[in-house]
Amino acid sequence: MSDTAVPQSRRRILAGLTAIGAVTLAASACATTAPGSASRSTGTAKIVVVAAENFWGSIAAQLGGSKVAETSIITNPDTDPHSYEATAADARTIAGAQLFIQNGIGYDSSWAPGLVSANPNSSRTVLTVGDVLGLKDGDNPHQWYSHASVYKVIDAITAEYQKIDPADASYFAQQKTAFEDSALAQYNQLETTIKAKYAGTPIGASESIVSPLADSLGLDMLTPYSFLKDISEGTDPTSADKAAIDRQIRNKQIEVYVYNSQNSTPDIQAQVKLAQQEGIPVTTVTETLSPAGDSFQEWMVGQLQDLESALAKATGH
Amino acid sequence: MNPGFTWNIITDVQWMWSLPSMVNAFRAGLAVAILAGVIGWFMVLRRQSFAGHSIAVTGFPGAAAAVYLGLSATVGYFGFCIGSALVIALLARGSGTGVGERAHSSALIAVVQAFALALGAVFLDLYGGFLSSTSAFLFGNFLGITDEDVLTLVAVAVVVLLAMAVIGRRLLFASVDPAVAAARGVPVRALSVLYLVLLGATVAEVSKFTGSLLVFALLVMPAATAQVITARPGLSLLYTVVIGVLVTWFGLAWAYFGNQATGFTITSLAFACYVLAYAAKSVRRTLRQGRPGRLEVA
Repeated sequence: MSDTAVPQSRRRILAGLTAIGAVTLAASACATTAPGSASRSTGTAKIVVVAAENFWGSIAAQLGGSKVAETSIITNPDTDPHSYEATAADARTIAGAQLFIQNGIGYDSSWAPGLVSANPNSSRTVLTVGDVLGLKDGDNPHQWYSHASVYKVIDAITAEYQKIDPADASYFAQQKTAFEDSALAQYNQLETTIKAKYAGTPIGASESIVSPLADSLGLDMLTPYSFLKDISEGTDPTSADKAAIDRQIRNKQIEVYVYNSQNSTPDIQAQVKLAQQEGIPVTTVTETLSPAGDSFQEWMVGQLQDLESALAKATGH
Repeated sequence: MNPGFTWNIITDVQWMWSLPSMVNAFRAGLAVAILAGVIGWFMVLRRQSFAGHSIAVTGFPGAAAAVYLGLSATVGYFGFCIGSALVIALLARGSGTGVGERAHSSALIAVVQAFALALGAVFLDLYGGFLSSTSAFLFGNFLGITDEDVLTLVAVAVVVLLAMAVIGRRLLFASVDPAVAAARGVPVRALSVLYLVLLGATVAEVSKFTGSLLVFALLVMPAATAQVITARPGLSLLYTVVIGVLVTWFGLAWAYFGNQATGFTITSLAFACYVLAYAAKSVRRTLRQGRPGRLEVA
């Protein structure tokens, strides 16, 4: 290494420094317009709606009917929305949305708000389910399993549609009534039946996704909340919690065990096995629409029917 | 949806840069590549890759702690990265280049790193939020960069690079031959501390976009590749920056058109560059010596 090379390196650093300034300035002038974008999107008057997760997307699409074009970002049942890494296609989708629906409550907060702020759009409204329900980070984010929360979100989505497209306000009101009264009829009926028949029944669960459902149905969740939260968030559950749950299963303190089949850790698999050995009926729920093509109500009804038959088997009525 | 890749490059780029996310990703990617390249070049030269990796890892508990305390993650990144850089710099014995000294400092760095990871887990648990934040801290997000983020990044880059321009020559001397440098009156120890602090600041700023893992790839891979290509310091520093910028930009474009995660595309390209450079060097050496398989002491 020669001494003459030394000052050269210093010059390179200065050159690099100049390059940062120069090229960043150049790049700042580089934002382009999409080729042919002027002729795009003016023909149809549909509201462009994007939902971060497909359970809210399915509801938004049905509420919007023919006046809305809906796209969901997370649609694959194998994708975990907690740790989703957004792609450029998602950024493009959100950039062009007129209404963007995100769950919030820490559920999609690692990627969705970032894509919104990095792609400013003055004609876009953002609807955050957590804000609608007055919940914050750390609260239970799985509110699509709560009947009351689902109805509040329906109100909020319809209100946004009417604000964006006031001319069709009465159409959206009709869509809402039709959705609540006929599309959700079986879902409403199952909620009422299970609540009437099995309220107070002690159940166990794998994670906090089941808590809003149990609250909604009046079931008595015996599993420690710390365990439900640990599994949902992907942290290690404590051994005290695990021992307590094993005891509850062995002593048949719980009538039914409900687990999330998309998030089944070895701990959960062991609990499922133990419950089956002890003759406790086991039933499953999923994080997002499964199969992906189902509507919100088809998916919920299927899960509620499974839960109802498990409860019937366990209690004998 | 994004239109796919066509061979009409101009239309492709127009499409790509009509998305504000991508424009800011390219701007930030440029600044990140230059900053990480210059700092990483010295890191590889000084054989402090392990220290760099540990400092990068401490960004994770830093961000977690800040979020738990209700502060912005940036405060946590800077606090913990610069803090761990200071701990490593001040507790390491001597210049950290002798055999015994190096063993001592690598053990010290390992201790800092292990404790940092444990702290990260504790803060996340205390916060009780979703582990989604963990993946953001570890893998970052090149697509959520705002104009303000780019301005802050450029400001930090300018400050760090100015400092490097001032100390660069003496730091190079102290890195290559600390004993002779010290004998000639170069403040070897002070330079070492200052360099690690600059490394900490770089890692903290860059981690916001790249996460704690990709930042290390950008620090080490372009520099390692350039130092395989040439032994001349000035030239290899220039190659480092050029490789870093190209790898980042092409990685972003690949992520855009292939709908891949940026961490994967950028790291893969950087790795490919290293493998190519290494293979080319081996082939050249074999051809020159006519004796395949002979080891050369680097």
